[in-house]
Amino acid sequence: MRKPQTVNIVMIEDDEGHARLIERNIRRAGVNNEIRHFMEGTAALQYLFDSADGPAKNGPALVLLDLNLPDMSGIDVLQRMKAPDSPLKRTPVVVLTTTDDKVEIERCYDLGANVYITKPVNYETFAQAIRQLGLFLSVIQVPDTDVS
Amino acid sequence: MNTAQRQFNRAIFAAIATGFFMLIIAAGAVVWAFQRTQDIGQRVTHSIEIEAAIANLNRLDERIEAARRGFLLEGDKRFLRTFEVTAAEIPHKINDMAKLTADNPDQIRRVEQYRKLAKNYLDLVEKSIANKRAGITTVPGSSLLDKADIAVSQQLRDLSDTMSSAERDLLEKRTTREHAGILLSTSIGIVAATILLLVSFGTIWVVRRTLAALSVAGEQLRLLNGDLESAVAERTAELQRANAEIQRFAYIVSHDLRSPLVNVMGFTSELAAAIEPLSELLEMAEERIPDSVTDEARYAVRENLPESVGFIRTSTEKMDRLINAILRLSREGRRMLAPEAVDMNALVTSIIDSLQHRVGELGVTMKAEPLPTVITDKLAIEQILSNLIENAIKYLKADRPGTIIIRGQKENSRVLIEVEDNGRGIDPKDHERIFDLFRRSGTQDQPGEGIGLAHVRALAHRLGGTISCTSALENGATFRLSLPKDLAPQQGSNT
Repeated sequence: MRKPQTVNIVMIEDDEGHARLIERNIRRAGVNNEIRHFMEGTAALQYLFDSADGPAKNGPALVLLDLNLPDMSGIDVLQRMKAPDSPLKRTPVVVLTTTDDKVEIERCYDLGANVYITKPVNYETFAQAIRQLGLFLSVIQVPDTDVS
Repeated sequence: MNTAQRQFNRAIFAAIATGFFMLIIAAGAVVWAFQRTQDIGQRVTHSIEIEAAIANLNRLDERIEAARRGFLLEGDKRFLRTFEVTAAEIPHKINDMAKLTADNPDQIRRVEQYRKLAKNYLDLVEKSIANKRAGITTVPGSSLLDKADIAVSQQLRDLSDTMSSAERDLLEKRTTREHAGILLSTSIGIVAATILLLVSFGTIWVVRRTLAALSVAGEQLRLLNGDLESAVAERTAELQRANAEIQRFAYIVSHDLRSPLVNVMGFTSELAAAIEPLSELLEMAEERIPDSVTDEARYAVRENLPESVGFIRTSTEKMDRLINAILRLSREGRRMLAPEAVDMNALVTSIIDSLQHRVGELGVTMKAEPLPTVITDKLAIEQILSNLIENAIKYLKADRPGTIIIRGQKENSRVLIEVEDNGRGIDPKDHERIFDLFRRSGTQDQPGEGIGLAHVRALAHRLGGTISCTSALENGATFRLSLPKDLAPQQGSNT
């Protein structure tokens, strides 16, 4: 049995409003894990891969990823994370975006996204999805990163 | 063809006609000249025959004379025989002559004169022979130099000479005349042949020039055609680019609009959620310290806030639907069309079946007439027809039983499909407008955003078709979809 570790939540989301709403709903679900919020892809990647307290070097994490980032596409972040030689290839990624384009969704799953959630304008649905995600977070086993 | 060209063509035609006319004239002249030549030949022969006859007569005369003299001098009976044979021959020869000269009164006269003289002469000769036989030696004619004899034979000779020369004169005159005729006809023939030659050369030159111009024009046409094709291809590519640009724009805009909308909706909900504790607080305050609760606070918490939140919500929801519609349209525009043979009858049947619930509920009569098969994108045509049929059901008149007819026919390379209803109809002034996005017509008693027909038109255009509407208020509406029978593949893109 592995020693349970606290799972850090890394939220990569350029819209502050969305970030706030996501955070509130996660908290409402009773999830108290630390949430690191990044507004852009570069800083997020730097944290994910290189930071001393980042998931690559230190402990398991779950990534909430928006596809529309100012400096790059969320797809790029996903690709980097799920690359065969990436230490984060087993880190669960939840894609959260406004697109409900079938092609885009399929592409994310093909690249290794674990969950894809469309941000609906209907807030109740959205809040419910996030809360359920929070419940999901509280029970899932997040694998250790490949620190070799 | 312009006037100059037409005149030119007419001139060529006239030249060719002239050429043929000249050919006929030349041929006529040649035939005429040939006949004249033959005539001359005959006449010459005729004259020679006459001359020969005259010479023959002269010879006979001389032979008689010789025979007589022989007899008179020698008294030999052989001379007598020769004389008799020759004398008998002379009238026949004169008759032959008369026959030959029957066409000339002058000569006939001379022949008759000759006949008399010859008879006269023969009489003289016979007399002298008779005298000799009788032994009379001093009778006239016994001498070789008898005067009467000499006179008569001289007259005969003169007459035959006259006849001969008259015949020769006649021949000469005729020949001269005929020669003039031949000369004239030959000249006419030569002139005609020359004109013919000129006209043919002219015509050949003109035809050659026309052919050269024609091939140049053909080459130019080919080049122009190529230019046109490339121009069309270029324009098409440009249009496709522009269209793709608009689609992308619509996609990005609608997509990016959703993001703030999520916030508006989200925080509105947060506000709505905040109303609850606030109103609880208000109730508590009213209970415990009623004086502290103002009407304004009560109004704000119980009416203003919920109402405002409600308006924000409905507006945001509507905006979301509109954005979704734009997104759907733009996505549809980017979809790759896949033309296939679509059995329209089966398609219409399946659409009607899918609407069976509403059709049965409203008691609508659906009539689907046989439709031709169309090669087109099945999904697009299905969306078009189901939109039109759904609209027809949606806008029926409540006070009369609905009838919806779907019919179609082939029209050359296109197929015309009609959806006709007896519903509430559309005001003619709105017939164009209803196809615009978010535009609706008539009483707004049915749900909808004004998207369906805009979608239909966009799809129809993508399939290379058109859609139009004929209707009068209260009198039903007919939507006409005209599609190419065979949609060329590879239209649009999925970029």
